[in-house]
Amino acid sequence: MTQADVRGQVEVAGRTITRGDVEDFLYAEADILDAWDYDGWFALFEEGARYEVPTTDYRGWSLHTGGSFVDDDYDLIKARVKRLKSRKAHAENPHSRTHRMISNVRLFPGEEDGTLRIRASFVAHRARDGQFDTYVGWYEHVVVPTDDGLKYRLRRTILGHEALPVGARLSFIL
Amino acid sequence: MSSEVSERVAEPMLVEDWERLTFRVNREAYRSPEIFARERVDVWLRTWLYLGHETEIPDVNDFKVRTIAGRPLIFCRDTEGQVRAWLNSCPHRGTVLCRETEGSQRRFQCFYHAWTFNNDGTVAAIPDDGAYEDIESLQKNMMLRSVPRLEIHEGYVFISFNPDVPPLLEHLGDAADYMTMIEQQHASGVTTLPGVQLYSVRGNWKLAVENAMDGYHFSPTHNTFVGYLRESGFAVTDDDQYAYNLGNGHSLLVLTGHGGRISMVWEPRFGEDEKVRTEEHRAEMVERLGEERAHYIADESHILFVFPNLLLFDIEGLSIRQLEPVAPGHTDVRAWQLVPREEHPDSRSLRMKTVVSFVGPGGLATPDDIEAYEAVQRGIEATRGAGDLDYSDMSRGMRDEVKGEQGRSIDEGAMRGFWRYWEEAVGGGLQVTGDRPAGFLEGRNVR
Repeated sequence: MTQADVRGQVEVAGRTITRGDVEDFLYAEADILDAWDYDGWFALFEEGARYEVPTTDYRGWSLHTGGSFVDDDYDLIKARVKRLKSRKAHAENPHSRTHRMISNVRLFPGEEDGTLRIRASFVAHRARDGQFDTYVGWYEHVVVPTDDGLKYRLRRTILGHEALPVGARLSFIL
Repeated sequence: MSSEVSERVAEPMLVEDWERLTFRVNREAYRSPEIFARERVDVWLRTWLYLGHETEIPDVNDFKVRTIAGRPLIFCRDTEGQVRAWLNSCPHRGTVLCRETEGSQRRFQCFYHAWTFNNDGTVAAIPDDGAYEDIESLQKNMMLRSVPRLEIHEGYVFISFNPDVPPLLEHLGDAADYMTMIEQQHASGVTTLPGVQLYSVRGNWKLAVENAMDGYHFSPTHNTFVGYLRESGFAVTDDDQYAYNLGNGHSLLVLTGHGGRISMVWEPRFGEDEKVRTEEHRAEMVERLGEERAHYIADESHILFVFPNLLLFDIEGLSIRQLEPVAPGHTDVRAWQLVPREEHPDSRSLRMKTVVSFVGPGGLATPDDIEAYEAVQRGIEATRGAGDLDYSDMSRGMRDEVKGEQGRSIDEGAMRGFWRYWEEAVGGGLQVTGDRPAGFLEGRNVR
């Protein structure tokens, strides 16, 4: 545990970011995703940001040098959002009902100047087709404080499963 | 479950009619526990099965644990470098011997009674073995149980639980060369990478096979992905795309104009630097392989199905997909990225991003395929026991087939070939009306 974590706040580029700020950001995102507001979700990313979901055998390699479930650069995030808004994204038409719980939120100074690293736990439930699927894992995000609130530079979801369980495809944003 | 549960199980399994040009598959094939049990014996325990790629265990003592045909196995490279497939079960009482999923070990020790085995299968230690009458024969009898057959083609490791199975290359037949073509793409050869997609679908394994051999679904099912490709400057067409039955249940789609192929067919979304590298690589291929062979290897995308559990996607990039049936309506899927051993880091990262954007449960296309298998699996409940209605139609392209014209990828000829072969193995009856064509169009010469 770093000193910053004990205090529950981090100084980034002259701003003080508290755990409360980070929790508000993550909770707001959860609402946005559960409400299927994908334009609102895309607005949480800075230009050039990435969205990654490593595979369940992940041992910390760069996603450029190994397989993954999601390895989106900014253009692909945009394409993913466009797809999910389309009625032709069959895997999510009709949409899954999702419900997210986020906890164990901690924040650390980022490796790059002006960034903040977030670690949190999540449980997401998805109901569709008479089935109820559970996803658990951790967020390991890198965010940048801006005048317009926190923005993602890297949004990374690490799954806590040994394999994606039956039916639990990643057709929505986890 | 016995057949009396469903009031009227339709017969036969396949109905082929050359007067009306129709081909129909009995939907019990996707849902019947009895048929699933028969498949286990007549397909999965009888023929060759894809186990894994040699590059997953590159060094001596490397191992992976993997379940194939419902049987837990240890896939390893022993201390002498030989590739092995052991039943992951202690010969003593049957305990799972290795409870890790992967690693590097010279020996496997059962935690229950501490029996220890070398990775070449020999007994290393049986504690307090003085209590047994004949230690020598005990050690001989208690060697690790090997899968009866193991053969390797171009790094693809196949096993069979049937000691009398014909040689692997005989089984692979015309499919073998398409695997060689992948290996020949790069002078350095290809390798798998860590980052394995492990996922499960609520659908029968044969729906996943059909889907891969079904170019007809591409435009409607992958509407959003096709849209993304168009926006990135690539024209997608269904023209000049063909489907081939390769015999022994194997089939092939040959696609051109389907999408770019990293390091072989450039497209704008790959960027200008990649264009230069692609041109250099193509020149090297022509030099190494000759103009014609280089053309077949580089310019065409191939989706190869090797009966019954291996799919090779040689499209934008390369990936291996393995199917593992768990129950009639439940299939485990495993997918590996296959990459050139030597590759510019920028090409590698482009490759990773591009393949994953399409393929896999988090991609922009595969989730819609999964939706399709699952929607079929649920939808066919509507016709359960409804006799003649309980059939799926796969007639598309028979009209051209009787004229001797090569089937297109957007027809259903590859599926028909698969189902005929499946029925020969599993039974259930094939009813043929009218005159069949003298021979089904199979394969082609790309050597």
